[in-house]
Amino acid sequence: MRILLVEDNDELAETIVDRLRAEGHSVDREADGNEANELLRHINFDIVLLDVNLPGRSGYDVLRSLRARSDQTPVIILTARSQIDDRVLGLDSGADDYMIKPVDFRELSARCRVLARRRSGSASNLFTVGPLSFDRAAKRATIHGQDAQLRAREVQLLEIMIDNLGRMLTKEEVADRLYTFEETPSMNAVEQLVTRLRKKLEGTHLVIKTARGLGYMAYVSDDD
Amino acid sequence: MTERPGHSLQRRLLFSMAAGFAVLLILISILLWTYARTAANRTHDLLLAGAALSILERVSVGSDGATVDMPYSALEILSLNPVDRVQYRVFVPGKAEITGSEDLPFPANGELSADPAFYDSDYRGAAFRFVLQGRRLNAPTGAEWVAVQVGQTVEERAAQQWSFFLSGLIGLGALSLIGLGFVWVAIRTSLSPLRQIAGDLRLRAPNDLSPVNGAPPREIRGLFDAINGFITRLDQSRRLTETFIADVAHQTRTSLSALQGHLALANDAEEFDAMRARVEKADSQADRTVRLTNQLLANAMVIHRSDQASMHPVALKPLVRDTLAESLKDSRMRQIALSLEDEGIAPGRDVIHGDALSIREALRNLIENAVRHGPADNTVTITLDEAGDNLRLSVDDAGPGIAEEDMAQATERFTSLSDRTKGSGLGLSIVKAVAEGHDAEMRLSRSTLGGLNVTMVFKRIAAALLLVVGLGLGASEGQAQTLRVYSATDTPAMQPLIEAFLATAPGTEVEYVEFQTIGLYQKIRDSDPDAMPDVVISSAMDLQVDLVNRGLAQRVSLPVDASPPGWATWRSELFGFTFEPAALVYDRRAISDADLPANHRDLASFVRTNEAALQGRIGSYDLRQSGVGYLYASQGSLQGPQAQRLIEVLGRAGLKVYCCTSQMVEAAAKGELAFAVNTIGSYASSLVQDIPHLGLHFFEDYNLVMTRTAFVPQGARNPELAARFVTFLLSDRGQRAIAEKTPLIPIRPSGPAQTEIERLIEENRGTFLPIKLTPALLTFLDDLKRQDFLSGWDTSLGRLP
Repeated sequence: MRILLVEDNDELAETIVDRLRAEGHSVDREADGNEANELLRHINFDIVLLDVNLPGRSGYDVLRSLRARSDQTPVIILTARSQIDDRVLGLDSGADDYMIKPVDFRELSARCRVLARRRSGSASNLFTVGPLSFDRAAKRATIHGQDAQLRAREVQLLEIMIDNLGRMLTKEEVADRLYTFEETPSMNAVEQLVTRLRKKLEGTHLVIKTARGLGYMAYVSDDD
Repeated sequence: MTERPGHSLQRRLLFSMAAGFAVLLILISILLWTYARTAANRTHDLLLAGAALSILERVSVGSDGATVDMPYSALEILSLNPVDRVQYRVFVPGKAEITGSEDLPFPANGELSADPAFYDSDYRGAAFRFVLQGRRLNAPTGAEWVAVQVGQTVEERAAQQWSFFLSGLIGLGALSLIGLGFVWVAIRTSLSPLRQIAGDLRLRAPNDLSPVNGAPPREIRGLFDAINGFITRLDQSRRLTETFIADVAHQTRTSLSALQGHLALANDAEEFDAMRARVEKADSQADRTVRLTNQLLANAMVIHRSDQASMHPVALKPLVRDTLAESLKDSRMRQIALSLEDEGIAPGRDVIHGDALSIREALRNLIENAVRHGPADNTVTITLDEAGDNLRLSVDDAGPGIAEEDMAQATERFTSLSDRTKGSGLGLSIVKAVAEGHDAEMRLSRSTLGGLNVTMVFKRIAAALLLVVGLGLGASEGQAQTLRVYSATDTPAMQPLIEAFLATAPGTEVEYVEFQTIGLYQKIRDSDPDAMPDVVISSAMDLQVDLVNRGLAQRVSLPVDASPPGWATWRSELFGFTFEPAALVYDRRAISDADLPANHRDLASFVRTNEAALQGRIGSYDLRQSGVGYLYASQGSLQGPQAQRLIEVLGRAGLKVYCCTSQMVEAAAKGELAFAVNTIGSYASSLVQDIPHLGLHFFEDYNLVMTRTAFVPQGARNPELAARFVTFLLSDRGQRAIAEKTPLIPIRPSGPAQTEIERLIEENRGTFLPIKLTPALLTFLDDLKRQDFLSGWDTSLGRLP
């Protein structure tokens, strides 16, 4: 993956860069907000890690102008402030995730992978994780090359879960995306559908986690 | 001391006393001046009167008519005044001049009489004072008036006036100076205790936080106690801070030393494996240090925020959901079975007065504790439910839990009970601090899941609550004013009105809290002045009058073009802004329009005649539940004995009672009711318009009208904004917004009738009987009166009380 790290503290930047490079990513680093903004105008990255307090131009401003150019590159905000207002501001301005410093490297890598998966899942037609392949155009899923024999609804659900990897979806949200307005599904139907799909996905690395009372979240188990 | 130097109390007192004396002197001088003039006039007028009188005595009637023999004494009297000039004239008014200067000015409204009339007038460029006196003589031609006019310049009397005035003033001036002297002495003496305190504090060492000693006089005892109280608090706070800093220093240093130690050993290690083992230890030690630092900061933040006014109405349900969804992103949560049980609370009933940030922090710490101390596949259940007026937020887990005997100790700072996981010992103390900051109860117990159960019990904000926060332009500048409105009116009905107001007031936010009428009344009646909202709105006119009668409202001056009619305002404090007639809602399938009773008497006979058909099919308000229902019914009872008869007839026909207009309309729509009496016309109309078989009816004899009222309580934080809001409600713009955007009806009709009910009101104009906002409404609030009325109602309805 090609990652841009925008961080003005040299020590911290060095450790993050080393870590990500050790994982085999190609990492560019910028220390100044204005320069990062210029760079993002011309070069496409797979993920941007963005500090908030930057010389030149704040991380939020960089993010805002990125999104103003309709550039949907996934962005993780790194911040040392822990107040929620800042986070909301970050997410409102179009961040995909945020982490509070000091960041745990394992967690940072995991979040990067989730974002990358989510992007590749929705951007390209073929989504592959472990033995599972999902062809978005053909609406077909295979496990170990064998057809997973998903029904139409299950395919739809799988697609929704892949688009929202690492993100909590409430049962109502899932139902809204699955069914049309006239169909008025029961929440039970959603539950049964999830159970069936989960069963069919057994043995792959795609896990659909249920948090009772909250909803569903899909994640890739070997990412962590 | 770069600040503007403070006032000298002494100089200020002295100046204000001097200013007081000066004002007093000016007032007295004005009095003295008029007094001196009166006194001088009186003296000199006596001379004039004497002169006139002596002339009149010598007037006689001869054959040629009236004549005078000018006496000497007359002018001699006048010459007792050595300076002034004299003029006189004797004449028969309208007939003949007898003697003297003919052109002397006559008084403006001069009516000649036997009594002397004195007046000032200019004559030939000089100021004169004249007297005019007449005498009736019997002449051969009949009775005849002879007039004498005597005048004198006023130099001497002006001089005398000045001399009276000056001598008086000099005395007063001297007296004032002596008084000021006494004041100066008194001020110096009474301020001496303050100098003593100042001296005491000035000589103090910075770390001496003992109370100031001394026996202060009563007037400054408050200040003295406040200073000592502040010193005590400062002392406590300093000690707390010292302990905290000592703890923090100890914890972080220990943690950092361990980290440093591992790294040093790794550095010195000869073999790779030994070095690796050390580095791994250093890594986990660094992890703990990070967590410790985070928690220390969180702890400090929570304590800091509980001191501040960061408390707002917070809905717990979405807050908890968001926090949990957020924490699930963490890859350490993958194996944890996290669940939320919040079905027990309806939306809108989950609101507390709190700080979202702190509660989030507490919840996050509880989850983190469960994850950290429990197995990797721990089960964590968060439950949100209600118990009476309280909301319970509890976190259960299936971890090892805490032994009963350790529970009390567990919430102390820096007591980590588990050696294995090496917690910082701050997690639960953060939760405890949050609970304390929210006046919430915090309980630890053994969970049914096997691990620990932590429950926080918050107090719910009374009644349903909704926040409508509108941000006007420029609100981000941080100078937004928030208008707090407590109201017993459905939020959907008020929201368009509030939005219309916000459009006229950029940079303003409105916090709208919805209550039931009685809940609102109790809340306001029992509130501290600093906890008052800015505007109170309710449909219960009697309860509003009661609050205003308790002196809880403040005056609002409305512009003339935004005044409600006389019946809908009281004391310039309470204002009605809607027009809400009681209406009859009927099912056209059950009663044809032709059968509709014209007045209340006809209604009674109609029900009596059709008792069998109507049995159990008539609805009205439950007077025990509804303030508006009670108001309509009690006011109706004042309209004569037929009201009582009507209730009895309705009772025999098995009257059904409801809490609110919407339910009555619903029952009528379903065909359960033939008709419902005393519904709120405005609501009923908007509900009825989509149901073709329902109709709205007004009576020909009278239709009671109530009004929704607003007042600005004493202690409102933004009284000016509140006054603007009340003015807006009654302004043309506000009234139009009520007409066009809400189901309510404006109190001042603006423009032609648009809705069905407005047309009906137009047609029945003259039959509407507004309930007046006066203290008379308190009659039915009287406990005995109320019980009497309600038990009468029960009996009429054939219910056992």
